[in-house]
Amino acid sequence: MKRWIKLAAGVAAITLATAGCAGSSGSGNTQASSNAPAAQGGDITVWLMTGSAPDSLTTALNKEFEDKHPGTKVKYEVQQWNGIQQKLTTALGSQNPPDVFEIGNTQTPQFAAQGVLADLTSSVNDMNGSQWLKGLKDSGTFDGKQYGVPFYAANREVLYRKDMFEQAGITAPPTSNDEWLAAIDKLKAKFGSDPDFQALYLPGQYWYTLLSFIWDQGGDIAKGDGAKFTGTLDTPQAKAGLEFYKKLVDQSGTKAPKDNDESNPAQAGIYGAGKVAMFIGTPGEVATAAKTDPSLKDKTGAFAIPGKTAGKSAPVFLGGSNLAIPVNSKKQDLAKEYLKLLSSAKYQGEIAKGGFVPGTSTDISALDSDPYASVMAKASQNGRAVPSSPKWGDVEAGQNPLKDMLTAYLTGKKTVDQATADANAALNKLLG
Amino acid sequence: MTTTQGVTAMPAGATPPASPRVAAPQRRRRRGHIGDRVLPYVLLAPALIGVLGLLGWPTVQLLFISLRKLDLRELVTGDMVWVGLQNYSDVLADSEFWTITLRTLIFCAAVVAATMLIGLLVAVLMKHVNPVVRIAIQVALVLAWAVPIIAATTVFQWIFDQQYGILNKTLDKLGFHDFIGYSWFGSGTSTLTVIGLIIVWQAVPFIAFSLYAGLIGVPREQYEAAGIDGASGFQTFRAVSWPALKPIATMVTFLSVLWDFQVFAQVWAVKQGGPDGESTTLPVLLYLKGIAGSHFGPAAAIAMLMLLFLVVLTARYLQLLVRSKEAELR
Repeated sequence: MKRWIKLAAGVAAITLATAGCAGSSGSGNTQASSNAPAAQGGDITVWLMTGSAPDSLTTALNKEFEDKHPGTKVKYEVQQWNGIQQKLTTALGSQNPPDVFEIGNTQTPQFAAQGVLADLTSSVNDMNGSQWLKGLKDSGTFDGKQYGVPFYAANREVLYRKDMFEQAGITAPPTSNDEWLAAIDKLKAKFGSDPDFQALYLPGQYWYTLLSFIWDQGGDIAKGDGAKFTGTLDTPQAKAGLEFYKKLVDQSGTKAPKDNDESNPAQAGIYGAGKVAMFIGTPGEVATAAKTDPSLKDKTGAFAIPGKTAGKSAPVFLGGSNLAIPVNSKKQDLAKEYLKLLSSAKYQGEIAKGGFVPGTSTDISALDSDPYASVMAKASQNGRAVPSSPKWGDVEAGQNPLKDMLTAYLTGKKTVDQATADANAALNKLLG
Repeated sequence: MTTTQGVTAMPAGATPPASPRVAAPQRRRRRGHIGDRVLPYVLLAPALIGVLGLLGWPTVQLLFISLRKLDLRELVTGDMVWVGLQNYSDVLADSEFWTITLRTLIFCAAVVAATMLIGLLVAVLMKHVNPVVRIAIQVALVLAWAVPIIAATTVFQWIFDQQYGILNKTLDKLGFHDFIGYSWFGSGTSTLTVIGLIIVWQAVPFIAFSLYAGLIGVPREQYEAAGIDGASGFQTFRAVSWPALKPIATMVTFLSVLWDFQVFAQVWAVKQGGPDGESTTLPVLLYLKGIAGSHFGPAAAIAMLMLLFLVVLTARYLQLLVRSKEAELR
């Protein structure tokens, strides 16, 4: 009898093993048929990401849209960033995808290249096309056609403790790399006796910051267009950017992990503890830090990421989102109407009030009153995007070679030449 | 089975075919009612259909997907693009795949060996300690077993954390000052060792309980006899305990191989297969290709190859199973 149990257990284990493998790769196919019930009548489903549009905006927008189109209801759903790529893949493969959805700007080319987004080229002019933020517009373009409509953008800047700068005798925020390093030295001289003090908090895998340095040196990650991209991390300019990153890490003596990024642990929380004089982040992170220590709101100032030339700030990575319509949405016209309304000056102003750079309006006056947002908005004019390769999504979703390069170089495991060569090869494999 | 009422004129040929070895009982069955003969199969059918439908069909699907190009585009449009063995040749031609396969095999073997050894030691320990201590050990084992995978992984990540980890702090206090800010996740080997620790920690309870169950099944007299013969502790274990444990040990070893070969959650949660891809195992590669990259074809091919590896790895065990079944019937 025991043997029979053994047999049954063995067979069950093998079959389970089989099913386990099948489940992980076949899911996209099997889930396609089982999705949310069909939207009725003239309803449209809108997916926006958490934290992107203020509730006041969406409530007003959805109400105006429903009033304009009697009989139509907007099914508004807020999505989480975590696992969104898989969720979108599944949703777009289903019979009833959302009619309008928000998609990260670095993910847009991948979806556009796969032909799953509706071509919006003919509607650009109806959507305030002349005022679109260039960095975002480019990320929504593929093969000369427009698939994504800019939604909002945010970029990084250096957030610093005004009180600490004053005590260390730094009169004006640094505007060049050298001034920046000098400021770090002054801060260390003043506060260095505290073992927990960090003049600059800079985690090892903060690759968005690395992008600024590489661009500032005149380099780039990859060059090319359309479907074909080649890595350019092994150029002298890219190496110079990487070397400056190491200089910052070494000179500031940051205690941030070299093998993790800015969200693990969340850098705003570290800044909130009050022992950090500077960090590179978005204005929203000050609000997060202020939850720990409300006084930080008044003590914090912002300056643009310095460049190698004094007075000329480094280009910044423009993070943000586009809006798109799935090619298999059954409500294409209504969805376009919705985008038209959202891209109007009225709602773009609301986005600016929410602290973001609006995607389809050049009016950023609402950001001027906010000391962090105004610096950000100014820097966004010099904003750039990652290579608009359809395969860029693989770089970020999988094992990012840029992160591995940073860790290997910063920990001294590889030389700058070795690290950049390896990362470039890995990048070529992913993008090629 | 042996009812004589209502014998039908059903020809004998309708009886389900059986191996010649079971000829004797078959003769007896021939007199049985047709319903009696069919009934067991009817009763088995729902379970069989369930197993085939839920486990067999996905496997067939997987095979089909591995022969197709299935990216986001095909997923949305529903196009069937057959590419033959292209996915397989692409995967097999990639030298990285072989590095990862070798790494996965070594990792799996190391984890299984460690699990079995520690599990066996704990089982023997449980047999020899007094009941109070034994219950304490058992409660601890069950608790460790009950911790959700990701929760346990998170705890281990904090233990081994470079800046705030309790391990580095403790080592520092013990005088090993080199461990201040030491990164346990700096190399693939070190990362995999930590991951292996997590897996072993979670796998030991099941193994220990299974082996302990085998140990308590051994009659006390045998130990007494061994004692009278003057056997040492180790000799007793080898001559008395081990023969009783062997079948169970074989079973749990092979189960462990199956589980540890395809462990994903812990590996991914710790370092996403990093640093620099050095702790990437086959399931992680499958995830990177299939889910992260939306290339379901090559991912399915990797899954099929993993299945193949598993069949090869466990072939010996399957053979043993088939043999022991025949032996029992004889």
